[in-house]
Amino acid sequence: MADFFVEFQKNLPEILRALLQHIGISAAAILLGMIVAIPVGIWLTYHEKPAKVVMAVFGVVNTIPSIVLLGAAMILLGIGYIPAVAVLFLYSLLPILRATYTGICEVSPKCIKAATGMGMSKMQMLRLVQIPLALPAIITGIRLSTIYIISWATLAAFIGGGGLGDLIWMGLQSYNFGLVFCGAIPATVLSLVVSALLNLVIKRASRHKSEEAAV
Amino acid sequence: MSNVVSATLVHLQIAFLGVLLACIVGLPLAAYLLNHSKLSRYLFLIIDAIQTVPTLAMLTFVMLIFGLNNSTVIVAIFLYSLFPVIRNTYLGLSSVDPGTIRAARGIGMTTLQIFTKIRFPLAMPMILTGVRLAVVSALGIATTGVFIGAGGLGMLIWRGIQTRNMTMMLSGAIPVSVLAVFFEYSIGFFEKKLIRKSNHTA
Amino acid sequence: MVRFENVSMAYGTHEVLKNLNLHIGEGQLVVLIGPSGCGKTTTLQLINRLIRPTAGSIFVDGKDISQVDPVDLRRGIGYVIQEIGLFPHMTIQQNIEVVPKLLGWDENRRKERTLELLKLVNMDEKYLSSYPSELSGGQQQRIGLLRALAVEPPIILMDEPFGALDPITRESLQEEIKSLQQKLKKTIVFVTHDMDEALKLADTIVLMKDGEIVQAATPKQLLSNPANEFVEQFIGRHRIYGGKADTVSDVMSDKAACVLPELSLVESVELMRQKHVPSLFVVDDNHHLLGQITIEEIRQVYGRENIPVGEVPLYHGPTAVKDESAKEVFDMMMENHIDAVPVLDEENRVVGVVTRSSMVKSLAHVVWRDENG
Repeated sequence: MADFFVEFQKNLPEILRALLQHIGISAAAILLGMIVAIPVGIWLTYHEKPAKVVMAVFGVVNTIPSIVLLGAAMILLGIGYIPAVAVLFLYSLLPILRATYTGICEVSPKCIKAATGMGMSKMQMLRLVQIPLALPAIITGIRLSTIYIISWATLAAFIGGGGLGDLIWMGLQSYNFGLVFCGAIPATVLSLVVSALLNLVIKRASRHKSEEAAV
Repeated sequence: MSNVVSATLVHLQIAFLGVLLACIVGLPLAAYLLNHSKLSRYLFLIIDAIQTVPTLAMLTFVMLIFGLNNSTVIVAIFLYSLFPVIRNTYLGLSSVDPGTIRAARGIGMTTLQIFTKIRFPLAMPMILTGVRLAVVSALGIATTGVFIGAGGLGMLIWRGIQTRNMTMMLSGAIPVSVLAVFFEYSIGFFEKKLIRKSNHTA
Repeated sequence: MVRFENVSMAYGTHEVLKNLNLHIGEGQLVVLIGPSGCGKTTTLQLINRLIRPTAGSIFVDGKDISQVDPVDLRRGIGYVIQEIGLFPHMTIQQNIEVVPKLLGWDENRRKERTLELLKLVNMDEKYLSSYPSELSGGQQQRIGLLRALAVEPPIILMDEPFGALDPITRESLQEEIKSLQQKLKKTIVFVTHDMDEALKLADTIVLMKDGEIVQAATPKQLLSNPANEFVEQFIGRHRIYGGKADTVSDVMSDKAACVLPELSLVESVELMRQKHVPSLFVVDDNHHLLGQITIEEIRQVYGRENIPVGEVPLYHGPTAVKDESAKEVFDMMMENHIDAVPVLDEENRVVGVVTRSSMVKSLAHVVWRDENG
């Protein structure tokens, strides 16, 4: 552990740079994932058959270990930031897609009935009823995705994605465990903080639910 | 080829030992938590936080204690599996219809009998879901083990990546992907079968 | 206000509605009732185009609704459902203001309307910032009702709105609907399977079975003149004070004390004394009712006893018809302290009279029937 503090002080600027890079890769992947997965997830709620196919395909993709896809991306797309983000983006899709889809599908039929009966158009119903009610579920999906992505972004270092994985990677190669923890500890803290923040957001989005329903 | 077979066996061994450990600890623990709601809240916070730790970081932390070998990966998998196993077992056991429990007590079952004959069988589909999630993610985590010197299919993949040898990479990637998909769907199949059965009896 | 013309509805080969014709007048509270599967809810949902008929047309306010944009149509029709369906993520205020907001009302106007609505059901302003989950079922349905009333739609559809509430809450909400209806004069179409509720609320009850209307009548008519055995069965215990024995023709006396307008007042008073009646019906040569004289009218012309009754300002009180429910007439007599009500035929001819002694006769009838039943 003493190694860690020595290395930490020595490499502070490097750690900060890696941390920012890590956040950058993860955020890019997650934002892209949201931009694609949320609209597609909503669209799928109107199209049952494609929904089944899409869910099945992404279900398979997500069971494939990340290192396999990272390796494939490196061989196909080369080394660097882009292949890393591309793979992470692909992984981020399913949790958000599934959460959006089930979240919208599970909006209670009585609300839909009432909304239809009072004369809401499809768009109004989405905007005012379905999306707000599905929001806790959607954010839960985003949180799940984000945690995966932050974790896998550490692996992305070995295909040149950069970030905190770089430090872990260099440390492992040189048996410099102090350096390893300079990557591992900030990555863990980042993940915990983001997870806690998103939990707060989820709580806020579901504040209308009574105590027992929120469990 | 024998390379692939032995790597696959090691891979499976690592993944299953980790999940098995989690089941051995997690199943009784979940049962215990049923009547200790305060403790359960704290414990869920902790295992959720564990689950949040990035894989590579977790491996390096565990490595401090267990060194650069397979046991580190097994322990990491054990830690990650705690959440799905305990959470799902707990949910499964606690969602059994109270009427069923009362009826069982009414016909003179002991607490232990209620547990083994009613709660546990009815919770089985949920427990299996937890195990499935744990196994599939364990197979993935096990590939990452290569970075801290563990064996398994991750080694083939990694060597393939390093030498840009697509064939070698695929010789690791294909078995691990097939295994993941296989367990996802085969355990899922049993879940559905059990759900149908428990719906039948209920 | 709402008119069904030869409306049929089928799901595949299963016919839910068969050639339905129904007119719902403005300001009426019409209750659709019948056993489950009779098509009452289908009928209701056809009105706001939640479903579309396989044949026939529906007119709302004179317009064929298949030509109207469903969204526009629904904005002009309030809809209250059994499941209540308040939006759980919106506060009570936001829930009430959903439609006003969709229609672009500004904040002040919305707030003003919301407060006005709350007053209507005597609910406190403190609920405005609550979420639906914090309210009881009865309170939630009150809000459901206010939400439907928010933009003052002329028509309100209510699909078993109180079906999921406990009996006490249901009762009080029924009272509220009744008094709201008297205040606001909305056209209300109300679906229920509860005969008590129908009798309490309806101006007209439409009893349905297997996708057809069996009988559409006022509650009193339905009770006194059930169209067939099914209706009798359906109204069940309510028939105790209804039924054939209790129509006006059963209890009236056909010996109504009638006089021609030429008869002098003195003679008329003498006649009343002889016959022990409190009033006389003045009729023309063809027995058409011209009016009524009671002690009250006579007192007004005191001192001029020699004029003919035709010149006395006549009293025009309530009248009855033969197949009307006797109970209805009795209630009216009790309420207005009336001693005798003339019974008229279709051409306004006096054919009988209901007096207080008719009530005794009716009572005896019920007792006699019960002893033998």
